[in-house]
Order: sequence, then C-alpha cells, then structure tokens
Amino acid sequence: MMASPVVRLTLRGVLARKFRILLTILAVVSGVAFVSGAFILTDSVKGAINNLFEELRGDVDLEIRSTIAFGDAARAQRDPVPVSIIEDIEGIDGVRLVEANIIRESTIIKENGDPLQTSGPAFGISWNGPDGLDGRTLLEGAIPTKAGEVAIDKASAERAGFVIGDTVTIVGPTGKDDFVLVGLTGTGSTSGGGGASVSAFDPATANEFLGADNKADSIYVGVTPEASRDDVQQAIADVLADGYEVIPGEQSAKETAGAINDIIDIFGKVLLGFAAISLFVSAFLIFNTFAIIVSQRLRELALLRAVGASTRQIHQMIVGEGLVVGIIATVLGLLGGLGVAKGITALFNAAGAAFPAADLLISSRTIILSVFIGIGVTVAAAIVPALRAGRIPPVAAMRPELGFSALQRSKRLVVGMVTLFAGIALFSVGLFVQPGGTAGTLGGSAVGAVLLFLGVASLSTTVAAPVSRVISRILPFPLRPMTRSVPGRLASRNAQRTPRRTASTASALMVGLALVSMVSVVAASVKKSFTDQLQASVTADFFVTNMSFQGLPVAFAERLAELPELGSVSPFRATQALINGEEKQIGAVKPEMGDLVDIDIQKGSIDSLDDGAILLYTDPARDLNVDIGDPVDITWQNGTTSTLKVGAIYGDSSVAGNWLVSLDTLAAVSSATPVDFFIGADIADGVSIEDARKAVDKVAADFPSAEVQDQAEFQKSQEDQLNQLLAIVYGLLIFAIFIAVLGIANTMALSVFERTREFGLLRAVGMSRRHLKRSVRWEAIIVSVFGATLGIVVGIPLGVSVSLALPNSFVTTTVIPFNTIVIILIASVVVGIFAAIFPARRAAKLDVLDAIATH
Amino acid sequence: MTQVSTSAAAGAINASKIYGKDDSEVRALDDVTVDFALGQFTAIMGPSGSGKSTLMHCLAGLDSLTSGRVIIGDTDLAQLDDKKLTSLRREKVGFIFQAYNLIPTLTALENITLPMDLGGIKPDQEWLDTVIDKMNLRNRLSHRPSELSGGQQQRVAVARALASRPQIIFADEPTGNLDSKTGAEILAFMKHAVTDLGQTIVMVTHDPVAAGYADRVIFLADGKVVDEVENPTAEIVLDRMKRLGS
Repeated sequence: MMASPVVRLTLRGVLARKFRILLTILAVVSGVAFVSGAFILTDSVKGAINNLFEELRGDVDLEIRSTIAFGDAARAQRDPVPVSIIEDIEGIDGVRLVEANIIRESTIIKENGDPLQTSGPAFGISWNGPDGLDGRTLLEGAIPTKAGEVAIDKASAERAGFVIGDTVTIVGPTGKDDFVLVGLTGTGSTSGGGGASVSAFDPATANEFLGADNKADSIYVGVTPEASRDDVQQAIADVLADGYEVIPGEQSAKETAGAINDIIDIFGKVLLGFAAISLFVSAFLIFNTFAIIVSQRLRELALLRAVGASTRQIHQMIVGEGLVVGIIATVLGLLGGLGVAKGITALFNAAGAAFPAADLLISSRTIILSVFIGIGVTVAAAIVPALRAGRIPPVAAMRPELGFSALQRSKRLVVGMVTLFAGIALFSVGLFVQPGGTAGTLGGSAVGAVLLFLGVASLSTTVAAPVSRVISRILPFPLRPMTRSVPGRLASRNAQRTPRRTASTASALMVGLALVSMVSVVAASVKKSFTDQLQASVTADFFVTNMSFQGLPVAFAERLAELPELGSVSPFRATQALINGEEKQIGAVKPEMGDLVDIDIQKGSIDSLDDGAILLYTDPARDLNVDIGDPVDITWQNGTTSTLKVGAIYGDSSVAGNWLVSLDTLAAVSSATPVDFFIGADIADGVSIEDARKAVDKVAADFPSAEVQDQAEFQKSQEDQLNQLLAIVYGLLIFAIFIAVLGIANTMALSVFERTREFGLLRAVGMSRRHLKRSVRWEAIIVSVFGATLGIVVGIPLGVSVSLALPNSFVTTTVIPFNTIVIILIASVVVGIFAAIFPARRAAKLDVLDAIATH
Repeated sequence: MTQVSTSAAAGAINASKIYGKDDSEVRALDDVTVDFALGQFTAIMGPSGSGKSTLMHCLAGLDSLTSGRVIIGDTDLAQLDDKKLTSLRREKVGFIFQAYNLIPTLTALENITLPMDLGGIKPDQEWLDTVIDKMNLRNRLSHRPSELSGGQQQRVAVARALASRPQIIFADEPTGNLDSKTGAEILAFMKHAVTDLGQTIVMVTHDPVAAGYADRVIFLADGKVVDEVENPTAEIVLDRMKRLGS
C-alpha cells in the first residue's frame, strides 16, 4: 500500500539520505556479491565439470573394473583388469565394441627441454580415435595408429608451440621417447582436458610405452543400438570372475566428476566463510549508519511521535529503511556476484587452472540465499537503532536534550559481558572438546567467535574514551603527541565524546584485524613447529616430491637406490586399509626410512618391516591395545585380508603417519600400479654434496614431474606453500578490512555532517582549513588505531587457542609474531588517513557563513 | 482558583511536576489547577523557568505529571498507556512548535494530512479545503518545507494542527522564530481558527504582542498560576509582566 504514511516516510527518508547510505549499500553489496559469487562459481564450474566428464564418457555404455572392499569409489586404488578378458566380452550378444582404458602419467617435453607445466594431471592414454568409445574428438590431423605416433590435446599443443608433423618428446612410466605429432584432440566443448595435458597413443603403443603390461585400468564396453543395456550388463556380470564388476558408463563419469566437485565444494565453502566475515563486518557498518542517522533525526522522529506516530510506526519506518537498503544492495550484490564469479575464474585461469568454459549459472538457491542473507543482515543490523528510535519521547520535538538520554539508555555492560563469556565458552568447547567432528568444531568455534566479537564490540564502548585519550597522547610517536596542538585535542575530544560511535566504528575494523592476528599466530606457530620438526627428526639430505599430486613412478626410487653417491633411499607409498572397522591411511616404506627420518622407535625394531610386520604410532597402539608381536587384522582396498604382527611402536608420527608396512608387504596384497608420494635419500659416506646432487639431478632429468630438493630447499618450498596460502587468506580478509575502512570513512562523513555548525564556528574564530582537515584525519586515526588494538587484543588469544587445539603433528610450538603486530598497528594509521580523505576534504570545504546558518 | 467546568476542552487538576530528588529537587509545576474553555484562545505566559512549557507538555500528553491529573475532553491522561496516548495526540490534539515543525521529506500537503495518514483516517476533504484556503496555502501544497518561507512553513504547521479538527491545539512559541510582520500574520490566522472555525487553542509565549491576540492570558511563576486576564491587550499584558518580574 503505497499510500501508507510509513511507507512514504520510509522511502522519502532513504531518498533524502541517499548519499549517506550509499556506503552502507556498498558494504552490503560486496558481502552479497561474495556470497552469490561463491555459489555461482561453484555451480557453474561443477556444471561444466559434469558436462566435461559426460562428454569424455562418449559412447561408453558399460565399464568393467575391479571391485573395492571399502572406501571412496573415485579415489580408490583399484587393481587393474587383464586385457585378455576383452575376447570373452566381445563374444557376448549386443556388445558392439570393447576397449581397454589405460591412463598413466606422461609428461610432454617442450622444445627447450622443460616439461610442459599443467594445472591438472599430465596423462598418457590408449586411444582408438573418434570412432572408438571415449568422447575425445579429433580436431586436426589424423589419429595415431602405430608406434612413434601421438595425438595431443590442442590446448597443450598450442601452449607448447607444437604443430602437426613436429617431433614431440614424451616421458612416460617406462622412460623417454620421441613421437611424431599426427593429430590434435579435444572434446565436444573444449580443446583441452580441463587443465590436464593428454597424450593419446594407439592401444598397442600405449600398452608398451605406458607400461600397462596388458593390464587395463578398466574396460569400456559399447552396446549395439538394438540391444538392451541392462541385459548386456547382466550377461557380462555373469561371465566376470570374482573381484570384478560391470557398471553403467555414466556412473563412473559421475563418480569421477563427484570427486572433483567435492574439492570445488570445499573451495566454495571457504569463499562462503570469507563472505560471512565480510557480511558480519558490513553489519557493524549498517548498524552504525542507522544509529547515527537516528540520532541526527532525533527532532524529526520526536515530531512524528508528537503528531501521532506510534512507537510501532517508528520501528517500521527505520527497519523499513533497512529493508530498502537491503533490497537495493541485494539486487546489486547478485549482479556483483556474476562479476565476482567471472573475476575469480579469470584469476584462476590466468594462474593456469583452466576451469572449463561455462555459462554462469544463477540457481534459484543462489537467489533465495542471497536475498535472505543480504536483506536479513541489513534488517537485523537496523533493529537496535529502530528500537532506540522508538524510545525517543515526543516531547523531544520541543526539547531535544530530553531525547538523547533515550538514545543512550542500554543494558550494554551486562549484555556485553554475557555475550562475551558465552562466546568464549562456545569457542573453547568447539575448539577443545570438538563435539560432532569437523562440522561441530568449525560451527561451535565460529558461532563462539561471532558472539565473542559482538561482546567485545559492546564492551569496547566502555573503554573507547580512555583508550582514545591514551592513543592521542602517544601518537604520532615519536613526534609531538597530537594532544599538544588544537586540532589534535579536538580530534581526541571528538573521539571521546561519542564513545559509542567510536567503539562500533572501531569494532568493524577489530573483526578483520583480529582474524588477521589470529591467522598470523597460527601460521607462525605452524611454520616454527615444522622447521623444528624438520631439524629435529629428519636427517635425509634429499627430498623428492611431485607437484602434480599424481605420485612418482617407482622407477625413480629404484634408480636412486642404485646410485653409489647415495646411502639410504626410501620411498613413501600410501594406501587405504580397513583396520578394526575404520578406514586408515597406511604408509609403505623400506627399513632404510629409519636412517632418513627419526620416528622415535620406542619398542621393537624398524627392520621388522622386512619380516612383513606392521609398525604403529603409540596412539593407535594404545587404542588397539596391542604390543610387539600381537596380530593386527587388515582389510586392503581390493578386499584381500591379512594379519600382520606388530614389529615396532614409534613415538613420532609427523612424517611417517600412524601405520607403516614394507613395500613388499604392500605389493603382495595389491596389484594396483604403485606410485611413490615422496622419496627421501641421504648421501653416502665420503661423497660431497655437489657430487651427490649432480648424480641425483641426472636421474631426475628422466622424471620431469619430480622435484628434487635438499633440506634447505625443502624447508623453503614448504614455507613458500604456507606463505602462499597465507597470502590467499589475507587477500580474502582484505575485503572485510576494506569494508571496515569504508565504515570509518562513513562514520567520519556523518560526523562531519552533524558538526557542520561546530566546524563553521571553529572556522569563524580562526581555525584554518588545514587544521580542520588535520583534526578530522586524526580522529579517524584514533578510531582505526583503537580498532587495531582491539583486534590484536582479541586476535592473539584466539590464535594461541587455535594453535594449542591443533594436533601435535601440525603445531608443537606456539609463536606470537611481534613483527606482524607492529605492521598491523602501522597499517591501521595508514588506514585511518585513507578513510579520512573524503570526510576531511568535505569538512574543509564548508562555507563559514553557510555552516553557521545551518540548523 | 478556577473550577474545572464541564464545557472545558482540557484542564489540569492539582498538577505537580518535580524534577530531580531531595536537595536538587526542582518543582516545575506546583499544584496547578487550570482549565481551558472550548472555543477559546488562551495564552500561557511567564518568565523563563516559570513552568509554562512543562504545563503545556503535560497538558498535551507529551510529558507525565509527578502527581495530579490532566484531562482532555472527558479523558484522564493518567489512565492511558503509550499506545492510547499516541492515538489521543493523533486524534484530539494539534501541535504548533517554534521550529522543526515539518517533516523535511514530505510536501506541504503530506505534512498537513500526516496525523490522519498515520492513524489511517481519511481527511474530511471539505474541511481540509477550508483550512488550506484559510491558511492561504493552495498554491504551495506540493512544495517541500525547504522551498517555503518561514511564515509559510508555520502556516503549514497551523493547517496540520487544524486539519484533524482536534479537541484542542497547543502552540509553543509559534512566532518565536518569525519576524514581527510574519508573526502577526500567523497569530491572525490562529485567531481566525478560533473565531471563525470554533477551534480551541492554548499558546505558550513570552511575547506580550502575541498574547494580545488571545481571549485570556494565564500567568505562571515558579510553577504556580499567579494571575489571569480576560480579553487582554498587549499593553495590559506587558504591564502585568512587569509587575510579575518585580
């Protein structure tokens, strides 16, 4: 009902203050854009990945593979399927075509000798051409039909600068070889493999070069159009031996896509987490803006009350203004979400992620949640100012001084204390008791942190004035404190006279900086613990890792072991197994591992590995209540069961994990292609580091995906990875901090507006524009330094708590990074100066006469 | 002391208002009994701190008494909660203030009909037209307050007070912010409202000239009614004021 005076007053109120609420809208917009962007991005990428796998599936109607006893269908290490069963399958009625599916790691070497970097895996596959079952298409040239020929995906060929007819060097599991590039492949919608590089060989070449040894990863089956797929599936199932299964083609496509989608979901959830932080900070800004606007409209609101507006109508009006702001911001935020999704996609693609090209999907869930969150946050933040506005007595229309007390009254201290302690309790329970697993830990500590922040924000009003006084006496250290000059004194007094406003403005910044402090404590602790551990327990001189997470071919470790320049060499393999009904990761190593990593053997001997024993970390040994010589029952992923005797119990699981067996033990129970995740080696006695390095590098030249590092390099690369992660976290937190800075600018602008008369008076009695500007700027600096101080005071204990709660394999030493704290404080001064630019300019521009005449 | 008559539009009986406690106690109103007859224009005068504004705020239901009663029409304000007080202000009481009389975001017409709009009542169009013409605002109705002169703004305020035909209108220094010519114009309009339209107006003022427009003047000092003049002129009022001050 547009005619309603409340609606009219609300809309006019928003219009009349449109510039004052512009920043508020901007803050909500960025939060909503973040939320919707996260949803749009994950939906779109997931949709594209599902499409890609559906395309890649092509005409595969059925797939035959080994069964697994437990675990995740997509990530399991399956035993291979002998290619020989193809003959049996081909004879079944309704079967049109049968192919062996072989996928192994193969790296394309560029003409300059460097491996072609990919953001996904580097594959070599067996390919029957576009007429075969899989969905790969031939974009240019011909299909590879004999030894010495290869087709590679067009995107990789272009990146490496190869054209048809060129000779391409490829490194596969069996070694290095040269091939003639005969064709360029793609799929229905892309010219690449979603960030992977794909080298396609004819089946015979693939079998040889990829070292498949007539064992396929799985068997693809195409069904004739006349036949019923279900019947064919049943017929195949009838002839398959135990340990094999036949599934519809789309199931396996879905499983693989699902595994990738899970990762994207995690990525989306992380984005959503940061979106929530931004929105939380925006809520402070909205709250502050409305609180200030209400106090500035005191007389108007009292007049409305005097002429007959009810308390409810006043509530409706202010909340209504919040609603209008929320609606506008949500609509803009949804549009912004498209931009965020596009921007992040572009950013990651520029970094080489090769997200498949996808139309941006805005699902109804995205819209509903964005609307709910955007409008909800705005309205919720406007409720307290609205309640305060409702308390303004009508008599304040004539005697405004009577109205201010109505705006001040509050049970702040009590509510603040209760909220703070509830927050601390919940945070601690979430972190240390960890009810309900990861979800409970994260949920509990997140809600706890929110309450804690709200509690501190509410209590900070009490300390705002004294702390502001102290800050203004110290700053700008080491120069003359600001209280020694008139503009500085004014700035200090202004910050103190509205402690509530100062506190809530600073609180927005507190949230962002508390999280930065917290993360910096955790990161410093992780870094220190890692370095300590590396120095204390790892004695290996060289580390070989694989950046693409596919693992290293076992040949690498075997060849390293043959080098006379090296002493002990041990790879680290991993597999999943079921112990006592629970899925565990089991490491497989050589006994030489004991020379490379000090796992702190407490009982037994590491050499017992060679006798087929299993080694346990102290915790699981205690949980299972086993000692040396006791049997442990294990079910491996392919269903094989074995009973291993406990050979040793060790006290340091940081590198080795909880369970160790020998490579031979693993090989005896699993025929899945083994890969090494990690190789450690030390130098033989009497060999110089340089010579050893040369020998290792020479072998490594044949394994382009491997990265060889000495201890210092290894430590540095691990730290670099951590720093990269930190940079991303800080980058995402910058959004929240930016909103908080907007908040400071907004409060200062509103205060300047409110003090128009005062500024006019100051100018009239002789204060220069420069001094006026300085006064505004210093007030902003006081507010932001106050916010930073609160942030550090809250963030450091949070960080220490998180560090203490993290398992010992992560953090053993808690470190407080004082240099980061100093940087935060200095940055907050800069932030204050930045936030004051516009308000200070505005204050200085006021015309003296106009300013005095304004009432 | 005057008795509260049955034909009164409003009145206060033994009204006291005390601010503060013990030593710092201030008696803004001290046992005031007064009534305001229907269709009369009454001025309340007194030096500053005499309690005249407090009396008006309490009479209008904007502020509450420490003891005593306030009656508007046949309603005892002490019996009303905030909700009922609000609707009483909307329906039975009109206000004219010294300044900040209008909502800046609403047009002149929207300001005039605001109390009725808030109450969801349709204005009586004929009466509204009469009021608008009487206040000479016909061609200013779509203007915002910032586009009106001080006198025009105050005429809009008078029109708003009249528009809902309240039982009684309270005016707090309505000419305080205006030059004497514009002020005289507003007072003439208010006088018309009483004589021609039959309204009841109670006005707080310290200006003897303004009081001269009233039918009756009540003098307050130290929270008590100390004098009263029927059909005053500016000279008589000034004279009484001088005596009060001495």
